[in-house]
Amino acid sequence: MAIDKRFIGREYGPYTYTIGAEKLREFALAVGGAHPAAGTPGEPPEHVSPLLYDDDAAKKGPYGDIIAFPSFAVVFAIRPFGAAVADPELGVNLLMLVHGEQELEFLGVMRPGDVMTTTGRIENIYGKAGMEFVVVATESRNQRGEVVVKGLWTGVIRS
Amino acid sequence: MARTFQVGDTFTHVRECDLYRPIYYAGASGDFNPIHIDPEVGKVAGLDGVILQGLCTLAWAVEAVGIFVGDPGRIRKVKVRFSRPVRPEDVVTFEGRITAIEADRLTTEVTATNQRGEAVLKGAIVEASLG
Repeated sequence: MAIDKRFIGREYGPYTYTIGAEKLREFALAVGGAHPAAGTPGEPPEHVSPLLYDDDAAKKGPYGDIIAFPSFAVVFAIRPFGAAVADPELGVNLLMLVHGEQELEFLGVMRPGDVMTTTGRIENIYGKAGMEFVVVATESRNQRGEVVVKGLWTGVIRS
Repeated sequence: MARTFQVGDTFTHVRECDLYRPIYYAGASGDFNPIHIDPEVGKVAGLDGVILQGLCTLAWAVEAVGIFVGDPGRIRKVKVRFSRPVRPEDVVTFEGRITAIEADRLTTEVTATNQRGEAVLKGAIVEASLG
């Protein structure tokens, strides 16, 4: 059943998320291919930048602290998209939902202690090739009010 | 850091989706959608088992460019279409090429192909700042 286009423009958030150092390490190493075990995110594979997990190397580096792997942003910035597709009024069958497209823009780096506030808005709802598409735009600001991440999330509901 | 880049420069990055990677990525990212962690749900959903989170594949494309430019903090933009699921034990080869250099930014087009030669991303573009 087609999703009602009248939900275009509906807003979700703000949602607040405080970035923690261990979470950054965990994410960077899970993406990087490490094998986490109880008490450790695992040994860093050689190709993973020390700027993402090594405090000492990062302090000597260009950012003065470890930084988030860029797409760590999805951990918090997905929230309005998640809220939209789970919105009972939209009536999306989550079992048939897949991630169709993703765009992320990074206007700065994220460090431990940054407090990110994300808002989102349904940009579009449309049908194509027998499937339904829901597009959500998000914007995440840090504690200084600077926009650090912009996202465009496209969910596809298979029929 | 004195490295120079030219339009046409290429790079390659290979990643295997090992058996538990969707579960590790779920733990790190919070994306516990059962289609990524429960083979039975994957079957019910018509996906023939679990599939890797598309955002993990996106992260690998970002990683490829971050390694190429030498600093993950320089990634400025990523845009992808998820054209085919990645499954446990798939090996994904990312091949990138600089298509433009303007001011302090380079643009790369990245392909991502599984071991059967099928594209798992389409139209992937990653941009990075040069300094």
